[in-house]
Amino acid sequence: MNKRRLLFRVGAVAILLAIAACMMVIGRGHTVYVDNKTLEYNGESYKAPYRVNVYVKGEQIARLAARERGMTTNIGQRFRMTLGVIEEKGGDEKMVDVSLKLPYSMDGIILNVPGYLANLPQEAWLSEFVSTPTEAEMQDEEIPSEEEDLLAGEF
Amino acid sequence: MKNKITAGKILSFVRDNSVPLMFVLICAVCIPISGFSWGYLINEIVTRMGRNIFLILALLIPIMSGMGLNFGMTLGAMAGEIALILVSDWQIWGIPGVVLAMIISIPISVLLGAFCGKILNMAKGREMITSYIISFFMNGIYQLIVLYMMGSIIPIKHFSIKLPRGYGIRNTVSLLNMRQCLDNLLAVRVSGVKIPVLTFLIIGVLCLFIVWFRKTKLGQDMRAVGQDMNVARDAGINVERTRIISIVMSTVLAGFGMVIYLQNMGNIATYSSHSQIGMFCIAALLVGGASVDKASIGNVFLGVILFHTMFIVAPKAGAEITGDSMIGEYFRVFVSYAVITVALIMYETKKRKHKSQNAQQLQLAQEEADKHE
Amino acid sequence: MNETLDKTNMTLRDRLKAFVDAFGLPRLIIAAFLLMLYIAAPIVGAGFWMQISNTINRFSWNAVMVLAMVPMIHSGCGLNFGLPLGIISGLLGATLSIELGFTGPLSFLMAILIATPFAIVLGALYGWLLNKIKGGEMMIATYVGFSSVSFMCMMWLLLPYHSPTMVWGFSGKGLRTTISLEGFYDKVLANFLQINIGSLSIPTGTLLFFAVLAFGMWAFLHTKTGTAMTAVGSNPTFAKAAGVNVDKMRMLSVVLSTWLAAIGILVYEQGFGFIQLYMAPFYMALPAVSAILIGGASVNKASIANVIIGTFLFQGIVTMTPTVMNNMIHMDMSEVIRVVASQGMILYALTRKTEATK
Repeated sequence: MNKRRLLFRVGAVAILLAIAACMMVIGRGHTVYVDNKTLEYNGESYKAPYRVNVYVKGEQIARLAARERGMTTNIGQRFRMTLGVIEEKGGDEKMVDVSLKLPYSMDGIILNVPGYLANLPQEAWLSEFVSTPTEAEMQDEEIPSEEEDLLAGEF
Repeated sequence: MKNKITAGKILSFVRDNSVPLMFVLICAVCIPISGFSWGYLINEIVTRMGRNIFLILALLIPIMSGMGLNFGMTLGAMAGEIALILVSDWQIWGIPGVVLAMIISIPISVLLGAFCGKILNMAKGREMITSYIISFFMNGIYQLIVLYMMGSIIPIKHFSIKLPRGYGIRNTVSLLNMRQCLDNLLAVRVSGVKIPVLTFLIIGVLCLFIVWFRKTKLGQDMRAVGQDMNVARDAGINVERTRIISIVMSTVLAGFGMVIYLQNMGNIATYSSHSQIGMFCIAALLVGGASVDKASIGNVFLGVILFHTMFIVAPKAGAEITGDSMIGEYFRVFVSYAVITVALIMYETKKRKHKSQNAQQLQLAQEEADKHE
Repeated sequence: MNETLDKTNMTLRDRLKAFVDAFGLPRLIIAAFLLMLYIAAPIVGAGFWMQISNTINRFSWNAVMVLAMVPMIHSGCGLNFGLPLGIISGLLGATLSIELGFTGPLSFLMAILIATPFAIVLGALYGWLLNKIKGGEMMIATYVGFSSVSFMCMMWLLLPYHSPTMVWGFSGKGLRTTISLEGFYDKVLANFLQINIGSLSIPTGTLLFFAVLAFGMWAFLHTKTGTAMTAVGSNPTFAKAAGVNVDKMRMLSVVLSTWLAAIGILVYEQGFGFIQLYMAPFYMALPAVSAILIGGASVNKASIANVIIGTFLFQGIVTMTPTVMNNMIHMDMSEVIRVVASQGMILYALTRKTEATK
């Protein structure tokens, strides 16, 4: 009886841990920045197209002219988007499906469109976005004392 | 004759439900004065039901085991907050983030709950004031952890969460990436009112759990302990352990409740979110007609609806009547405290009456026995 | 030879244990901590005499409010978590005295005089209530305090005060959250016979005022009524059998406690220099409660010595920790230490087994 109980407990903890681990993986959020910028790589230059439309889950999230940056968020490492590439003004929209695995450790990820379209190795068009804390964020805050929130404006 | 009976019935109904009826009255007066539209009111109340009911349900189990209103539920709220801070630093978003936060809160809640239960076992008969002081005491420890240890001992990476000095958490932590993710999944709009179906489903599951739990061996033990500790001990129940379990369960549920509450709010007020939550949850439960020794799921739902209606309309109504917006603000705080005060007084007087009745009966029996001799 | 050594060792350890038991471990820790702070203060460069006079000053502000705990503990009503009720009587006295146009030291006297009837009436109601709910005093006291503070929040806005020093400038009604006492009774007691030696300054007047009240309390506890009150607290059944009116004694103790709280807040204000209204009195009971407990009182036993020792230790920690900690580790953890020490002390007292909960 007691052994069964112990087994049951260990099992419950194991299941919870497994769920937690699973959540850590599938719930990891990333901010993806899509850059439509001319890329220099190994001495060669890859020119940015005239316009790139970015679609995620069937919704257009950005219309990027050359040298513009779009932003989207993604939960999990599997990232899918569709790029509608218009090379020249007035040209046709060429659809390119993009599916890639985001590195787990990066919060913000920059994807360079011309580099990706040119089938360069991943390191060329994928880089980490490092945010610098803003001025306001660097200012020290007063920590409120216990008396301050007695009125509970929102509950 | 028949009239008399119904009149008596009505009278006893009014007496038994004086607090909820008083609130119905307050709401009935304040709603027209406040001038809020019904659509707005209903929308607000439904949102707040989804946000708060889980937290308030956490109070039911200690009441069942006779430990009164668990002011120590604040401990669970702290556990939930610590879990959410960690999860948001690890950048786990959306529903996985909520689930992960709940799982992380469990060990913290169990630890805090066990501590609280142990201390309450040492202070039998004054559980409420003790649990109240425990919540203050733990607030000190919480500050020690969140303000000094997070970032220095517990790794915190992001500058949006950490204070610029390198350790300690900011006054507010944004939960933008999991904001209302539970509420919005499966949400249904009925004539402009957003109903967070998933949140209500979770609440429903908890209600079913509580109903089921009452019938289990442990639930029965708790009720026995609640009725009379000595009788329960004679019946072979481990009273101390049962009481600790009931507090641990309440704390864990409060931790979950806090996660649900904060995902709806969309940000954590790091140093104040938890401080008043116990008080308002208890007030809401009491408004629903519960007492210190008896509370049902129905009380929780009625309480949330009535209390929050008052909470929404009071500031506006107060401003309309007196021209000062703070009046209503103070009024609702006053009402919350007054409700708890009245409920406590009613409970204590009832307990005393009971005691003296018992004593009288004992005396009568004694006299009877003396006569026979 | 060995045996005797063992025996002395035993007795020494036993004696030590008995001492710790009697004194209470948390109390010992707090006292040791404060001692450590005093030793550390000069080393880390925080002026020793400055710290001493700060502590004495804060002692003088708070001592009367801690004294207010004594009567209710004696009569078995437990720790007076309902202290804010008395504080409100004091605030009414203070604001009315200013409203009626009194200034200078006279305003202090008038504040006391005006506060007294409020304290008696409110205290009597409060005492009547506590007599109805014997056994659950502390929790209900807490909430009576909270309710009255939040009720008065509305009243401070609504009552027809007009004195321009107290109401909001632009609307001309509603009292301000803090009211300066300059020109009224700011430091009236403290400046009386004040002693200044270097950086050490002693507010003799305030200390004398407290001494008078404390002596009065001591004397009262030794009168017939006082001993009857103590009897009610230590053994209500016996007291009843001896012909003492238990309810009346308890009521008297509550009124006394409420009145002392009213005086206490006035003394605090004269030292602090401001009247604080609205939510300010909300948590004022907790420091007073933990102070008397740190001083060695329990839920059903307290003496004047407990008040003096406790207030000194508590205020010592409150004033010393920020400066010493800041100088030592550049981290202001004083808030955390204060909260943990004071609430931990209350918890300790609440979990002691006492007979007085009937």
